[in-house]
Amino acid sequence: MVRAVADRAFLPAKSLFEQVGNMMILTGKTITAAIKPPYPYGGEFISQFLFALQLCWFPMMISTIAFGFGAPGLQAANFLSLFGALDRLGGFFILASVREFAPFVTAVVVAGVAGTAITADLGARKIREELDALQVLGVDPIKNLVVPRFLALMLITGLMDIYALLFGITGGIFAELAYGQPLGGFFATLFNNASVTDLWGSILKCTLFGAIIAVVCAYKGMNASGGAEGVGRAVNQAVVIAFLGVFAFNYVFTQTLLATHPEISVIK
Amino acid sequence: MADIDDRSVEPEPYEEPAPELGRLHRDYVIPGVSPDEDNPYRWHTGEKRDHGGEDAIEVIDVVKQFGRTRILNGLNLGLPDNQISMVLGPSGTGKSVLIKHIVGLLYPDAGDILVHGESVPNMTDDELFEMRKKFGLLFQDGALFGSMNIYDNVAFPLRQHTDKSEEEIGEIVNRRLREVGLAEATEKMPNELSGGMRKRAGFARALVLDPAIVLFDEPDSGLDPVRTALLCELIREVHEENGGCYMVISHDLGTARRIADFIAVLWKGRIVESGPSAELFESDNEFVSQFLNAETVGPLAMD
Ligand SMILES: Nc1ncnc2c1ncn2[C@@H]1O[C@H](COP(=O)(O)OP(=O)(O)OP(=O)(O)O)[C@@H](O)[C@H]1O
Ligand SMILES: [Mg+2]
Repeated sequence: MVRAVADRAFLPAKSLFEQVGNMMILTGKTITAAIKPPYPYGGEFISQFLFALQLCWFPMMISTIAFGFGAPGLQAANFLSLFGALDRLGGFFILASVREFAPFVTAVVVAGVAGTAITADLGARKIREELDALQVLGVDPIKNLVVPRFLALMLITGLMDIYALLFGITGGIFAELAYGQPLGGFFATLFNNASVTDLWGSILKCTLFGAIIAVVCAYKGMNASGGAEGVGRAVNQAVVIAFLGVFAFNYVFTQTLLATHPEISVIK
Repeated sequence: MADIDDRSVEPEPYEEPAPELGRLHRDYVIPGVSPDEDNPYRWHTGEKRDHGGEDAIEVIDVVKQFGRTRILNGLNLGLPDNQISMVLGPSGTGKSVLIKHIVGLLYPDAGDILVHGESVPNMTDDELFEMRKKFGLLFQDGALFGSMNIYDNVAFPLRQHTDKSEEEIGEIVNRRLREVGLAEATEKMPNELSGGMRKRAGFARALVLDPAIVLFDEPDSGLDPVRTALLCELIREVHEENGGCYMVISHDLGTARRIADFIAVLWKGRIVESGPSAELFESDNEFVSQFLNAETVGPLAMD
């Protein structure tokens, strides 16, 4: 009786650790498969990249402008206007948008739009036993299906980060204009605070977000079970775990970046 | 009291306790076996009647458990080379699981599987890849690639494993598709086909490489009686042409009578009895005769 309760209480946690372990193994296998010749995944990579691009560009544009305008834009502008320091909004955008919000919005949109598509696709193939059939026919599903998605998602999140920066800052400009400010001060503090570290840090972080999303979503898809319903469950869990993974990793990355590059903590 | 630290006494060699036949361990569940049933294996003589040939596939003491449910429970089975064997058994006894063990998609918890004398669970990925070239496999649900049309599905193994030109491939593929009556459907996508048509396309795909070992998981399910009969004829013809070890899983006794040279009856994770089909149809084993004569009275009931 006690054991049954204990089982129920601890099993999910154990299986979560187990799954995280399996995802690490999948990451390792994916990287090995990507590096080791032959490279049969070129075509699939391009088609997955275009597919993700096609899915993501519009939601990304809307989300980043709206988010940039709303959260760091209007809210921060409101706060800064207390001190008559609205020109500082540009500098704040480096902190907020470049370092955090652009990668964040990118990860959320990519996981929700492209990640779920990957889980659903691989999950359906798993349920139809296509993955087994591929293996029996001598095709490695990791090399031929996971690697191209992994690479495509890394590239797409990296690029989408730049896109998110541009549109996010556009949102900031709108906020500045909404407060009737000239844009000179905004750009001055923006470029004053911007450093190369900020930019590469942002892009690197986002690329790694893409890797996390790809591994989680591919893993969940390839391990779906229990028919069409199982695929739905896999998609749901993939999004949740991808978000958890991205947020946890974000904390580690930010801490590390701030610790190794103390100069970016100085606000000019 | 014996001296605990006395090292001079040889410790008794530790031996893995052999699974006690016929008794249920409390910690796991075997599907279709109620825990208070005292000997669930009283019909399992495990007798293997001589088929007068070599075994291409040997399954030795295989145990496979999913969670706490034991599907295969010390399974021993030999499938003869150059014959068509048939594995029969109630739904859910692990026939499809058995096939997946043979091709190395699942690993046994214990036991071994030999294909032409080589142990499948101990193979490296590369060895497995080489071994799988010998196999043709029809999955229970066809397992066609949803992103390719029927033609490309059937051509896939040829493109993957041979250097044949597209013309040669086209010839083989079209011949196989004609044989299964899908000559008109080459351009269709799998989701535009009926279940039986998908099955036939999977059948064609399993045979394009003329493999030495072919495993068919219910090739006749979802087919009408005439097509089933024609498919049986086709299996016979192809087997006569190529030889090799063919294993068919089916619930259809007509199919069994038509094509099986060798029959194995699987139940509760073990073979009840196996042997040449003529002998098995005459078996006096209660379970085997109930199953092969489709009688309602006998050891097997709905639950
Ligand atoms: N990957 C898996 N995880 C958990 N359980 C599984 C898995 N694969 C099969 N099973 C279980 O193993 C049992 C046997 O399944 P299997 O598909 O081999 O049956 P079968 O003999 O082929 O039945 P049928 O004749 O209906 O096809 C089922 O109870 C199934 O639920
Ligand atoms: Mg089955």
